[in-house]
Amino acid sequence: MTDNIIITETIEEVPLETIRVIEGEEEIRISHPGYLFDESKISGGHAEKIFFPKNEQEVATIIKKLNEEKIPVTISAARTGIVGSAVPLYGGVIISFEQLNSVKGIGYDEEEKRWFVRLEPNVTLSELNDVVKLKKFEENQSIPPEKNWVEKFKELNTYYYPIDPTETSAAIGGTIAANASGARSFRYGATREWVKRIRVVIPTGEILDIPRGKYRAKDGNFIIKTKEGEIKLVIPSYEMPKAKNAAGLYAKTDMDLIDLFIGSEGILGIITEAELWIKEYESHMSNVAFFDNEIDALHFVDLLRKKSTFKPEFIEFFDKNALTLLREKQEEDPKFVDMPTISKTVEAAISFDLPFDEETIETIISEVGDFLGQCNSSLENTWCGYEERERARFKHFRHAVPEIVNNLIAERKKTYPEIHKLGTDMSVTDEHLVDIMQFYHKKLEEAGLEYVIWGHIGDNHVHVNILPRNMEDLEQGKLLYKKFAKKAVEFGGSVSAEHGIGKIKHEYLLIMYGEENVDQMRQVKLSIDPNCILNPGNIFDIEVKK
Amino acid sequence: MKIIVLVKQVPEADKVAVNPETGTLIREGVASILNPFCEYALDEAVRLKEEYPEKEIEVIAISMGPPQAKSALMRCLELGADRAYLLSDRKFAGSDVWATSNALSLGVKKLVPDFDLILTGKQAIDGDTAQVPPETAEHLGIPQITYGVNTKIENKKIVVKRETEEGYQIVSTRLPALVTMSKGSNIRRMPSMKQILEARKKTLEIVSAEDIGADDTKVGLNASPTQVAKVFAPPEKGGGEIIDGREEPKLAAKKIFDFLIANNFI
Amino acid sequence: MLIVDMEKCIGCGICEKVCPFGAIIVPTDTKKAKVLENCTLCGTCVNACPYGALTIERKTVSKEQLSQYTGVFIWGEWEKRENIPHIKNVVLELLGKGRELADRVNEELTVVLAGYNVEQLVSTLFHHGADKVILAEHELLEAYTTDGYATVISSIIAAKKPSIVLYGATPNGRDLAPRVAARLGLGLTADCTGLDIDKENQLVQTRPAFGGNIMASILSPYTRPQMSTVRPNVFKKPKEDKTKEGKTEIFEVKLKRSSIRTRILEEIHVLDEVVNIEEADKLVSVGRGIESKENIKIAQELAEAMGATLSGSRALVDIGWLPHARQVGQSGKTVSPNLYLAFGISGAVQHLVGMKSSDVIVAVNNDPEAPIFKVANLSVIGDILKIIPELTKLVREYNTKKESEEI
Repeated sequence: MTDNIIITETIEEVPLETIRVIEGEEEIRISHPGYLFDESKISGGHAEKIFFPKNEQEVATIIKKLNEEKIPVTISAARTGIVGSAVPLYGGVIISFEQLNSVKGIGYDEEEKRWFVRLEPNVTLSELNDVVKLKKFEENQSIPPEKNWVEKFKELNTYYYPIDPTETSAAIGGTIAANASGARSFRYGATREWVKRIRVVIPTGEILDIPRGKYRAKDGNFIIKTKEGEIKLVIPSYEMPKAKNAAGLYAKTDMDLIDLFIGSEGILGIITEAELWIKEYESHMSNVAFFDNEIDALHFVDLLRKKSTFKPEFIEFFDKNALTLLREKQEEDPKFVDMPTISKTVEAAISFDLPFDEETIETIISEVGDFLGQCNSSLENTWCGYEERERARFKHFRHAVPEIVNNLIAERKKTYPEIHKLGTDMSVTDEHLVDIMQFYHKKLEEAGLEYVIWGHIGDNHVHVNILPRNMEDLEQGKLLYKKFAKKAVEFGGSVSAEHGIGKIKHEYLLIMYGEENVDQMRQVKLSIDPNCILNPGNIFDIEVKK
Repeated sequence: MKIIVLVKQVPEADKVAVNPETGTLIREGVASILNPFCEYALDEAVRLKEEYPEKEIEVIAISMGPPQAKSALMRCLELGADRAYLLSDRKFAGSDVWATSNALSLGVKKLVPDFDLILTGKQAIDGDTAQVPPETAEHLGIPQITYGVNTKIENKKIVVKRETEEGYQIVSTRLPALVTMSKGSNIRRMPSMKQILEARKKTLEIVSAEDIGADDTKVGLNASPTQVAKVFAPPEKGGGEIIDGREEPKLAAKKIFDFLIANNFI
Repeated sequence: MLIVDMEKCIGCGICEKVCPFGAIIVPTDTKKAKVLENCTLCGTCVNACPYGALTIERKTVSKEQLSQYTGVFIWGEWEKRENIPHIKNVVLELLGKGRELADRVNEELTVVLAGYNVEQLVSTLFHHGADKVILAEHELLEAYTTDGYATVISSIIAAKKPSIVLYGATPNGRDLAPRVAARLGLGLTADCTGLDIDKENQLVQTRPAFGGNIMASILSPYTRPQMSTVRPNVFKKPKEDKTKEGKTEIFEVKLKRSSIRTRILEEIHVLDEVVNIEEADKLVSVGRGIESKENIKIAQELAEAMGATLSGSRALVDIGWLPHARQVGQSGKTVSPNLYLAFGISGAVQHLVGMKSSDVIVAVNNDPEAPIFKVANLSVIGDILKIIPELTKLVREYNTKKESEEI
């Protein structure tokens, strides 16, 4: 029986003095500056204290105290985010989750017939997969213990956690807070689909234990019953885009409470424990197909996702400029790319993973050959590998372009320190893919800007990266970026398909939803966090009530 | 012209470890691959095939191993070999270098008696001995050239550029001969989907000890002059201090400096 | 047993011509090869016969026969440095270990010195502990060739019956030893890092496998001699004692030009300077993390400030940023300096194999999961492009301070 009312758990506090802390704004700035930055590289973060709690109890104790004193808090885990979510722009206190980094156990949900793992938020994706793939569980880690799930799990084939947002050193807590996705969301969806349960600390210092499926919104709201009274959360009324989306709060009439927190970038509550589904590992083969024209490549994408009898893991795209960069890098340092030379006539490449099985390989390849024939290409213009070692080459190849771009920008920063790359993160619906690609190219060529396009084309979600050569380019680029955002929204898409809003994309959220709808998100936050202490500055601006 | 490439399937060496308690190899989670040096040899054979079309070169891959080694031979076919044979038989189990080279030479004599050239990798990354190719060449009575990085065929001779301690040597010999490759092209091949598909139509046969006339005086544990007495984990190295110097490189440099001073290295 | 296949033999007489011991003849009346009593089973004729008419069936040696094999032999590999022959360092290192083994089994320590105009090297062998040197000189042995040396070494081993033969695991050693092993049907263990004698007087040969992730101890119980190749820089060179003397035995070499089937067409020396990373006691080593050829300069500066030598991983040699002479690793050189500084080296197994035995290893790398950290005494996660110049600065300051103090 689902209900929209949830009762909090109260935790016994521990004396604050027993929790490890580093104090002093100067001290932090000089000796521990890492905590003030994340991969967005924005500056301006500052803090007076960093706490290092060991467990949920300590986290709850700290949050309660900070709320009483109305001190803003920023959560710090792996700091791999690229929109500044972990940067303490509003000062106050940082809570580092580095000590909450253990995998707690594994279990099998007999109703859902799926295996799951319970863990603390600072476990990284690579650590999680290491433990799951190599089955590194202790006997006493079965959830619940009497079912001996560990023993049973060890008898199975290889399992893994399929969400793959490229940066495998990201912390699970962060991926949940951001609803991270990546290439594989084409097949597996985003993190959201894989979260079974979370425990969240709210500003009162109390805990919400939220298994998926237990709490559903009724009459457009949720009620949280705390020790002191009641908190009513009114679900925003806007309609989320149908395309891949990580912008703003999740809102649906009869939504599950867990989905309110997933992707909320830490502004509603702090995750202290999570349970994630895992799945059986299937063999795959990695492929790249080359096309002399971009339009042929886009046609191939459509055939792959609509007409194939098999389901690709993901479909990725590289434009002409991306391939040029790769080709140049190959000449300079062949081992960096570790792939055969890309022909000069090629203007687009599609990278895609397919199921691999000796029984089906001939039919699958023949089908792909058929599609390629319809797109002015052929099986000869492809690369294919299925052994782990070979697939690693493909993965490396896919990540080479972003790496080359980052190095390029780093070089340019030497001349123009204020320069940075402009990368879009927008998605559209299937039927608008060709339109948006044409729009991107047209506008960029008109503006005479240097750019590269690559990304998760299976989800109609490509990253347009403008590479400014000077400050004028940067300004022009920013203007174009806004135009792209508006167009994407017009095409039923999202301004942030996977990176989130954080501290740097507020204006795009407004472009997407408008002031009124963003205000509805603010209301949700004010209900649960009236002093606005939790990760201020994420998703939208709000005044911290000092 | 017939070029034989002798290949081996090996576990990814850097992932194999010894269970310190039982002294046995832990192979869980370790993939099996075509030995990288063997891939250089195959690559060279296919390159020669492409470079000398008039010689109508046929590339034949031969390996000795358990049934699963078929996948390494399939990879050879995908990369351009024309046919492949796996010498697989319980009788080969426990073969050391001498016995393995016997099996391979018997296999070669039976399957491709009219070969012109044998290319192999310098060594296998599991055994690391580099012994099987020279011993096979000796059993076949053919000359060997080791540490090759590049080859050329001139009439009935092979000309090899080989690595030496001072640099390089150009060495030639009459065919048939055996050459071991220590280096490949800087760019590794990648088969196309077409080649993956076609490989599955080529000959890949399993050959038994009886097929090649190998008896237990030549192959297997009993025929092996060397025996493994014990396998154990290497002495623990490392375990030293770990410093995170990503945020403060100056501090990290100072810590290294202090360490070096303390240990009298400066 | 050397067996003549009467059907295949056509009496061409090649075997008679190549036999180093005159132990096989082709009588004019029978026109078929005949094996005489003094055949040592060295296998030279088997190789040479164009018709495959000769085979050797080797029965394993019984325990009684085992005792007939005595003596620890070392292949005395030499090289030319500026056109003058020098005994390779690894041979001297083997003499140190060889002495220990020979004393344990109470047998003689002999170096087999094959070459041309190498008699001058004999004395240094005695100075480093050899009891005896077997000198086998011939014009055709001036340069190393597989055929020439395999024939000579096999003949000597077959004739002299040592119980142990050691070779340096140098490129030539690894080319030669297996050829000899196959010819004589012997057990051979490659790249030994440990040699010992057990209770049954057997040679226990310990070596790394799987790129050094496991160690194996090997025995050759039924064949003699027991043969091993040993990597340079594993055992320590003994102290030179110029007063030591020994016996020299001349071995007469019978070699024909036609039995050497390879021709050396050209020698290409690539050393621009004489760099010997194997002898350095401190190495500053760089890997892919250095990012560009220009950046190598900063590592060179650190090396100079510290009195160390620059070396690098295979990745840099492959793209031409460093010469092969500076390469550390499985396909480069094995080094065991007192101090190995690894900058921007991930620690792939092929690299570790070449430097694991360094006394002290300090590793700096941006990747916290870099395998090099598993073998380091001090691990630093960080940006080498920032840390190296800082470290150089500190070292230089220290040096200047020390100098001014000394003045």
